[in-house]
Amino acid sequence: MRAETLKGHLDGLLLACLEAGPRHGYAIMEALRAGSGGQFDLPTGTVYPALRRLERGGLIQGTWSAEGGRQRRVYELTPAGRRTLAAERGTWREFSAAVTALLEPAPRPVTP
Amino acid sequence: MTGGPAVEAYLRAVAASMPGPRQARNDILAELRSGLLDAIDAHRSAGLAAQAATEAAITEFGHPRQVAAAFRPHLAMIQARRTALALAATGPAVGLLWIAAALASHVTIRHAPPWQWHGAPPLSPEAFRVVGVAILIAVTSTLAIIATTGKLTRWLPASPRIAATAAAAAAAAGFAVAAADLAILAVLASQLASAPGTLAPLPVAAAAAASLTRLTLARRAARNCLTARASLT
Repeated sequence: MRAETLKGHLDGLLLACLEAGPRHGYAIMEALRAGSGGQFDLPTGTVYPALRRLERGGLIQGTWSAEGGRQRRVYELTPAGRRTLAAERGTWREFSAAVTALLEPAPRPVTP
Repeated sequence: MTGGPAVEAYLRAVAASMPGPRQARNDILAELRSGLLDAIDAHRSAGLAAQAATEAAITEFGHPRQVAAAFRPHLAMIQARRTALALAATGPAVGLLWIAAALASHVTIRHAPPWQWHGAPPLSPEAFRVVGVAILIAVTSTLAIIATTGKLTRWLPASPRIAATAAAAAAAAGFAVAAADLAILAVLASQLASAPGTLAPLPVAAAAAASLTRLTLARRAARNCLTARASLT
């Protein structure tokens, strides 16, 4: 899938990747890739700037930690991040329901 | 922690087109390095040999210029915010030092604007006007930058234009503050030339030293903001 298509949703998807618990950048990227069945395959290097922006906005909090011998910057959702994720999810449900209703062919009427 | 030569060369290429405050850049490069090492591990456990895994990781991360470009708005915001915070922190202190210097010196304060004080040097009216305008510019842009580059970011679109505006405003604030310092130092110089006896040496020296230091730092910060802004276009 093209990066352009993903653009408006990347923030929400990154927040969703952190919902289950803290993760470092590469793990977030892998979650994004695996969770989308390989559809979302961005250049990994461009996910990090998005994380920094979310951090500056106070939606996630990054801290360096030395787990497993390697220094990694681990991100977790802040309370504001959780609220934003919930709001994004609500908006997406309404939007996708409306788009599905319009784009999907109506189910064939059941013949008696 | 260092990666292999290929990883380090990649990081150098990213750093080359990514201006910004040193600490912020180093932190970003360290994070990219640790991410690349994670990617290499992932490709190795998928069965690739060491060199092929490194190449795959670097390809996966994207072209250095693309990665640097994605970081530039963030770094410009950081540069603008740092400048604004430094100006906000030092501004009142330098101002108070000059007020203390004026009070300690034998310029008679009447209920009049500073340039009409008894014993004030002839240059004062113009200089104080420059200082007034400069402070107005510096205070408004500093407050706007501090407000928009922090948590408020979450409501703003991720646009390089906003980062460029913040960097330009920070540069304006830095140059304005430097102009204010120059103007007040010019007043001091003319007073030193005409009536040095009226000045209290210690408070005046302290205020002048503070202004000179800030003049240098503010000018440098403003230039860095202009570099960051130029990198966005």
